[in-house]
Amino acid sequence: MNGDDLMPDISTMIRDTARKLLEEKKVDLVIGFEKGTLPLRSTPCFIRNSKEAEKLVWNASCENNLARYLRKRQEKIGIVAKGCDVRSIVELIKEKQLTREQVFIIGIPCNGMVDRKKIDLKLNGREILEAEEKDATLILKGYNFTETLDKEEFLHDSCRTCKYRNPVIYDVLIGNKVAENEGTDEYEEIRQFEAKSADERWQFFTEEFSQCIRCYACRNACPLCYCQECFVDNSQPQWIGKTTNLSDTLIFHVVRALHAAGRCVDCGACDRACPMGIDIRKLTRKVQMDVKQLFHYEAGISVDDIPPLATFNLDDPQEFIK
Amino acid sequence: MKNPYLPFAMRIDKIVIETEDYNIKTFRLSFLNKEDEESFNYLPGQFAQLSILGVGEAPFGIASSPTQIGGLEFTVNKAGVVTTALHNLEEGGIIWVRGPLGNCFPLEELEGKNIVIIGGGFAFTTLRSLTNYILNEKHRGQFGKVIVIYGVRRPGLFLYKNELKEWERRPDCELYLTVDKADEVWQGKVGVVPNIIKEVNPSPENSYAVVCGPPVMIKFTLPVLRALGFLPERIILSLEMRMKCGIGICGRCNIGNRYVCKDGPIFTLAQLSELPDELLIWR
Amino acid sequence: MKEMKIAKNDLVSFLDTLITEYEVFAPVKKDSSVVFQEIYSGSEALLDYSNSQKPPKEMFFPQKERLFSYDLSPKKAGIEEPLLAEKQRIIFGIRPCDARSFVLLDRVFSGGVYKDIYYIDKRKKTLVIALGCNRPKSTCFCTSLGGGPFSQEGSDLLLIDIGQEYVVQVITDKGEELIKKHKEFMEADEQSLFSMRKVVDTAEASIKFRVDVWKVKEKLDGMFDDPFWDLVSEKCLGCSACTYLCPTCHCFDVVDEVIGQRGERIRIWDSCAFPNFTLQTSGFNPRPTIKERVRQRIMHKFKYFVDNYGVAACVGCGRCIRECPVNLDIRAVLNSILER
Repeated sequence: MNGDDLMPDISTMIRDTARKLLEEKKVDLVIGFEKGTLPLRSTPCFIRNSKEAEKLVWNASCENNLARYLRKRQEKIGIVAKGCDVRSIVELIKEKQLTREQVFIIGIPCNGMVDRKKIDLKLNGREILEAEEKDATLILKGYNFTETLDKEEFLHDSCRTCKYRNPVIYDVLIGNKVAENEGTDEYEEIRQFEAKSADERWQFFTEEFSQCIRCYACRNACPLCYCQECFVDNSQPQWIGKTTNLSDTLIFHVVRALHAAGRCVDCGACDRACPMGIDIRKLTRKVQMDVKQLFHYEAGISVDDIPPLATFNLDDPQEFIK
Repeated sequence: MKNPYLPFAMRIDKIVIETEDYNIKTFRLSFLNKEDEESFNYLPGQFAQLSILGVGEAPFGIASSPTQIGGLEFTVNKAGVVTTALHNLEEGGIIWVRGPLGNCFPLEELEGKNIVIIGGGFAFTTLRSLTNYILNEKHRGQFGKVIVIYGVRRPGLFLYKNELKEWERRPDCELYLTVDKADEVWQGKVGVVPNIIKEVNPSPENSYAVVCGPPVMIKFTLPVLRALGFLPERIILSLEMRMKCGIGICGRCNIGNRYVCKDGPIFTLAQLSELPDELLIWR
Repeated sequence: MKEMKIAKNDLVSFLDTLITEYEVFAPVKKDSSVVFQEIYSGSEALLDYSNSQKPPKEMFFPQKERLFSYDLSPKKAGIEEPLLAEKQRIIFGIRPCDARSFVLLDRVFSGGVYKDIYYIDKRKKTLVIALGCNRPKSTCFCTSLGGGPFSQEGSDLLLIDIGQEYVVQVITDKGEELIKKHKEFMEADEQSLFSMRKVVDTAEASIKFRVDVWKVKEKLDGMFDDPFWDLVSEKCLGCSACTYLCPTCHCFDVVDEVIGQRGERIRIWDSCAFPNFTLQTSGFNPRPTIKERVRQRIMHKFKYFVDNYGVAACVGCGRCIRECPVNLDIRAVLNSILER
């Protein structure tokens, strides 16, 4: 029995916690992850019975933001939430979509989730038939190949710039806190992009968003896109056209990014959900960066913060007033 | 091959404001093109898609009876984008039409039978077409007793008020009008349609019932008819669903494996009982 | 016509010749995925790939299609019928599952009383050359739906990779005419046919997932009110990725768009997953929550379509399985249905 066995792994701790919560009827429902049907995939699961707690897992493919499933529920909910998910929960509480008492946060300090699209690119389209996470590596097996990848290199971009890996609030913390990503300039990429000429930037956006098929997976995956009727569906008045006309598509994405201003925590759910691999975060992070610079504010840190677009300070910048 | 998506133009000859709140208008349209007129053969129950170029298209039951020569009538309730645009048109304006679409009331089956026509609200349009068709002198002899039960929320909301008066005067038609809430002038029945049906107590003997109205009215009417002894094969419904192509291809208006635009909008209760009750009205 | 064959080395020149006469569409690499695009040189075609991101149903049922245009100015008011395609097209290199999807879409667009001339015209003017799958993906389950990695349904010609050559199965007259016009094809010999049979058997055996869709349909007949739908729909996001990437989904919306005095009536892909899909102007929506919408999708594909056409509206291509952001796997759903 070596030292590793003495520390139960995160999956086991999550299961124990969930089981106990359900047995003691502290919650009616636990939302977590179970094993997916494909290698390197996990899938959201909804547990109402302590015996089902066995299903819960935790690994580098637990990428979905489960806060998406919290609204409009009467039950008391236990939720498995990593750093970014917890910040979405904080926002939902601030926006009165949820009360703090309603949710029991099973907080998981997170070292990042892997980006399947990056891995596919590396494998040049070869199908993964088996995947194993071993410490800091991913061992991927397919037809006539085995590849061992450095997990760190294939993390999702939103995980690489994440500064809140440890949940900012929680009811129980699973495992030990992890080191935060202190030194990185998380907006370096945005600043570099901003420095390009308007023509270059326009070309990027037109090429990128001409791929958009208007499936709205980005909107639906986002925990904070919860309007009863999204502006794209309004008919009286109709704000934008429904076709894949490029200007309509660009307006949809720009307006959605603006609607998320001061609320988006950059969990990356939109980016991951996109079936066309569009770099949606170029827009959302620009808005996030601007909010930070203009209002010294970051979303999802504390339930006591007032959303910047819902308040004002006398020293708010006003360079736009000439 | 005919392109089923292309509408043809018709001119608005007359607009009649049907209701006191100005929200419902009947448009009498005439064909601009003789070929369109000759190929537009319809029967009561069918609908057409009316469009305003630049705005959109929506389905409307044909309110005129094919016994009315020359043109078509549609009754439009102002509710959304297309209907508001239709209401903004004036006599002489153009409406684009695609049709006739859908199936019709089963006239052959109804021959020789007594018919109880039950309508609610502004869903009375195709029932009016059916009633006029049956009462027309060419056809009246083919059908038995005709009972019409028509209810609206208040007296000012009745459609086709002049025709209702004519039907009332006829000895070969029993007309029962009812309102949910009377005004100072109203002398007729007060009560919801299902209750009035109980009062009228039509016999199911050799009879068919034809029902059209908002889902909640249908939901409460069906049990009354069943209790009176009407068989499901003899209760005829006209359904509504959101539609786009109107020809059974865009996949939107289905109830189970039937498309309301193509296999309907006319269904018997027996047929509907085989389908999932998506509208929550017939189980 | 007997089976033919073509050397792999001759394929590019064959495509180049086709390009002079037809609009040729083939799979082309784009970043980490594959798309179907018009190619202008035979060497652009990608032959070693599993499947495209978006299904080739776009060739006959584009995401955005003009039904007609019109002028709103008083003097010129009227409808202009659309101009139909002039040039003949060839789709090269699609997979048999996608070719089979065309046969299913034919039932909807041209099988009824009303004929969709936009779709039908494109079908008539297109020749389909499919490429069989030597190595189906783990997410493929075409054999359970009546198809297979070398199914001939929907294709005019089927190419089977046997190493240095392709064996060519000639399926329709249209395909035969094309073969006769090109010198690169010769009759397949016994050796080639033997290799072909080996390839076919290996590929078909490699498809591990099997499900009895007839049994699924029988179960579904009685499942409309089953609480099963609450469970299965709970994690669905209601995005429409699965419907847009599905080769057999055919729902569309019709909209009018105007710029100045010119307008068009356009049809665009729509999805039963969207909340407003069945919303009526009165505000009543027969499918108000995600549960009803997920139920509709599954019922339509595996029961209603079977009721109407005797075949399920699914070709087992696996795109929905790979792309669903929450890994809602149709195979797991079908198995769960069988267990009810």
